[in-house]
Amino acid sequence: MTPLLFETQNAPLWKELEAALDRAENKRLPKQHDKTAAKVKRPPLDGARLAELYRRSCEHLALAQARAYPIHLTQRLESLTQRAHRLIYRRHDYGLGRLKQLVLVDFPQSVRAHRWYLLAATLLFVLPMIAVGWATWRDPGFILHLADAQQAQEFDSMYDESASAFGRTRDASTDWQMFGYYVMHNIGLGFQCFAGGLFAGIGSVFFLVFNGVFFGGVAGYLTARGHGENFYSFVVTHGAFELTAIVLSGAAGLRLGYALLAPGRRTRVEALKHAAGDAITVIYGVIGMLVAAAAVEAFWSSARWLEPAVKYGVGALCWALVLAYLGWQGRPAKGSGAHDAG
Amino acid sequence: MSLDTLYTAETPEGIALSLRPAGVVPRVLAYMVDLSVRLGIYLAISMVSVPFGGMGRGLLLVSYFLLEWFYPVVFELMRAGATPGKRMFGLQVVMDSGLPVTPAASITRNLLRAADFFPFLYAFGLVSMLLRRDFKRLGDLAGGTLVVYRETVALHGELPAAPAMAPARALAPSEQAAIVAWAGRASRLTPARLDELAVLARSITPNHAGDATQQLLGVAQWLVGHRRGGSR
Repeated sequence: MTPLLFETQNAPLWKELEAALDRAENKRLPKQHDKTAAKVKRPPLDGARLAELYRRSCEHLALAQARAYPIHLTQRLESLTQRAHRLIYRRHDYGLGRLKQLVLVDFPQSVRAHRWYLLAATLLFVLPMIAVGWATWRDPGFILHLADAQQAQEFDSMYDESASAFGRTRDASTDWQMFGYYVMHNIGLGFQCFAGGLFAGIGSVFFLVFNGVFFGGVAGYLTARGHGENFYSFVVTHGAFELTAIVLSGAAGLRLGYALLAPGRRTRVEALKHAAGDAITVIYGVIGMLVAAAAVEAFWSSARWLEPAVKYGVGALCWALVLAYLGWQGRPAKGSGAHDAG
Repeated sequence: MSLDTLYTAETPEGIALSLRPAGVVPRVLAYMVDLSVRLGIYLAISMVSVPFGGMGRGLLLVSYFLLEWFYPVVFELMRAGATPGKRMFGLQVVMDSGLPVTPAASITRNLLRAADFFPFLYAFGLVSMLLRRDFKRLGDLAGGTLVVYRETVALHGELPAAPAMAPARALAPSEQAAIVAWAGRASRLTPARLDELAVLARSITPNHAGDATQQLLGVAQWLVGHRRGGSR
């Protein structure tokens, strides 16, 4: 068969596909340039016919390539199949239903799927925290290894009983400013903790240990200086969201790093892609938790007029809720799973 | 073909789509444009919000955060699949299967900017792009995305009309393809160059004298299926 014959035989089919694609792509663009075409009432787009046309064009493209037909012919078929491919394989499942599925099932499930990374991340965060916290509690001067004297004085003045202390003189507008600051700073930190995993996990390990050391140091220092209650009542509530979220993003980062170091039966790039696809679900949840943490930190934790006992109570409740959510939410109900499968 | 940086993606139907990945320079330029757009938006928000005191400053910080991390995500998920800067340079973000980018992939590639930026000025991202044929930065590797040119270049057009004539000897498929490809490029090459190439193929044209270009075009017409002298 000559290219000419091939083209004359199949051109009507390509024209039909072209017209169908134009219609499908223009459906989402209300602007109609061709006024006469807009006036004519046309039958609805036939999906089955479109799929058939697409498969035929794919066949034609394969033939044209194998027989080395003129390049303008193959290029026309290439662009035609590419457009149809994009249209046919595009995804539809966005929107609120997807979000609900994410919050109720996907995020907690994927957190549990990463349980070993989570354990590693927790240890990397908690062990340095305890060690440095103990060291600074024994000897408050140890804080000078982590921060200079001026910063240490700032910690003191933030949590002491003086009038300028944190949360004493704050009004509503300062709360809003602090909310903005926490969103920018803390979520950015979470993202860095995740992205650092790309360097064989070293970045995530660094951020986890660094944050653990710093948090432990400040906590130990303030406890030793006698500001313990002010500090812990401030931290306890938003810590439920913030500390868990930082550890979770660290765990997601470790997942990336592990995929690069031990790709298993995939190539390293494939393993990384696969791991990122899983880990990003955790990051969605981390974003939500860090926004919640920023709101709690700005509007609740800083309220000094609340009794510490109330804050401890609410804080404990938040910790229990977060851990229960991550631990049990999204598990199939007993019995129903087997029923669905059958 | 090995000279080109074409990236082929195979579809479930077993055909290969070719995508043209965009290199470092257009992507850096697009980034610059996006940076100035973001800066402009930030300045506009700051002018509006600063009079509102603490709440305004809070809003400003949140908007800074959103511009920093989610500005590309929002634009990539829209129909064009590109930020304003990328659109300006004719670029587009797609999955490496040739499909429109998914939310998960777009968020992955943009959060991992932090790794690409490390240690300064996108050093890791640039090195990764320069080392790879498909110019992926680290975020693209993890997200499975690709930055490509939206338009395909048409280097080949219709064959110019010429009276069809049979070649002097039977031609192998690769020879046939070469001659037809040569004729397809007629509109892009200068006549002198076209003729220079045609003279090289003198041995297969029926007459060894006369206009080499016209004769070889005739052979090309014969090869694509024209038989009776005229062009159609």
